[in-house]
Amino acid sequence: MRAFELVIAKDAAHAVALLAEHGPSVKVLAGGTDLLVDLKSASNVPQVVVDISRAADLKGIVITEQGLRIGALVTHTEIMRSPLIRELFPALADAAHTIGAVQTRNLGTLGGNLVTCVPSMDSGPPLVALDALVTIAGTGGRRQVPLTGFFAGLRKTLLKPEELLVEIVIPSENLGKPADFQKFGLRKGQALALVNAAASLWVDWERNVCVAPRIALGAVAPTVIRASTAEAHLDGRAITPEAMAEAGRIAASEAHPITDFRASADYRRDLIAVLTRRALANAYARAKAMREGKNGD
Amino acid sequence: MTDVTNVTMRLNGETRTAPASPETTLLALLRDQFNLTGSKLGCDAGDCGACTVIVDGKAVNACLMLAAQADGRDVLTIEGLATLERLHPIQKAFEDNASLQCGFCGPGVIMSAKALLDENPDPTAPQIRDALAGNLCRCTGYAKMIEAVHDAARELRAQADALPGHKRRRAGGEMESA
Repeated sequence: MRAFELVIAKDAAHAVALLAEHGPSVKVLAGGTDLLVDLKSASNVPQVVVDISRAADLKGIVITEQGLRIGALVTHTEIMRSPLIRELFPALADAAHTIGAVQTRNLGTLGGNLVTCVPSMDSGPPLVALDALVTIAGTGGRRQVPLTGFFAGLRKTLLKPEELLVEIVIPSENLGKPADFQKFGLRKGQALALVNAAASLWVDWERNVCVAPRIALGAVAPTVIRASTAEAHLDGRAITPEAMAEAGRIAASEAHPITDFRASADYRRDLIAVLTRRALANAYARAKAMREGKNGD
Repeated sequence: MTDVTNVTMRLNGETRTAPASPETTLLALLRDQFNLTGSKLGCDAGDCGACTVIVDGKAVNACLMLAAQADGRDVLTIEGLATLERLHPIQKAFEDNASLQCGFCGPGVIMSAKALLDENPDPTAPQIRDALAGNLCRCTGYAKMIEAVHDAARELRAQADALPGHKRRRAGGEMESA
């Protein structure tokens, strides 16, 4: 690796000050699983790297008034093992488990996964399906944006050079919303998704209809996308296997997958239909199980 | 032009300090400064697991950590397992099962197994596979490694049970005080 200067940030405010001080070429080091690989192969390494990995205020998983708050530095392993996440958002724990392998999950962070912003990121779809927000800190203070708007393009986010992603918030109205994550890769271990999909839904049990369905897809467009036509098809509709299969077909027509060495666009479209249907069916099964659990109390 | 700083860590049970420039990885520090060459440089990108070490109880790729990030932390490498008298039970089980051929991946695989067994003394086969998924081996096909981890787990449990004032295990691997 070429030489650079390493500055250690003690908290989020310090990190933002360092980013502002060192200018637009500065890089942020969190888990390092993407950045260090990039720096090893890069021909022009930044002069300054800001290490935020010791900033305690960027860690932790807690329930606040706003909802579930996950610090940007929370690792994939911590997400998998968090009792709060396993109870409220098992789909998020499932997605974390499919990322890389143990060693990279122990280092890699949720914030890093979102900021790197590759199309196949596995954290993106379940968070988008749960209407997650992200909090961004800058020199002028903090702002919050929906995660869908945070993704600006291939490997591009809304972050300005002097800004830092500090936390991810799943809004309180979605606490415990039944959701599911599906991923298809060429292997089970250490494989990028050919397609990944997440779905969430509430059920109106009086009428057995779907309420506020969300479908989010990864690896089928430059960033994670929502299949909003498929969502609209399901909203208020009776929950049947046919309706879920149709939503999958509509979702496939909304995506723009590419052909590459891993799979063809046609194959990916087929995967979208299947994974979307499975994610919806599993989210519905989870909703049923939660309802039965409650009635059993 | 970059500053060399001293990095101090607890390394295989001893406090050790060495100078490191900012771009030095933990792996380079271990191999080049501490002469601990058990951890291997394979892909240098976090895919092969040959550099796996345990930092604060967690298996990590030493090629994906800067030396400075290990400052003040507890690092265990393959050299910290055996004593002059005997191999660690995981190493012994790998030897008994002929789990390695060329051996290049071995230190990383064994450290992944160690991190697993430290947290879960009685893992299932899928749990072992999951724990070793970040370690590539091009010789063996993994089956004998998985058998070795089972054997090592059994041996380590037997050793723990033989200790005076031992912790007794309940079904499911939970520990409780005897």
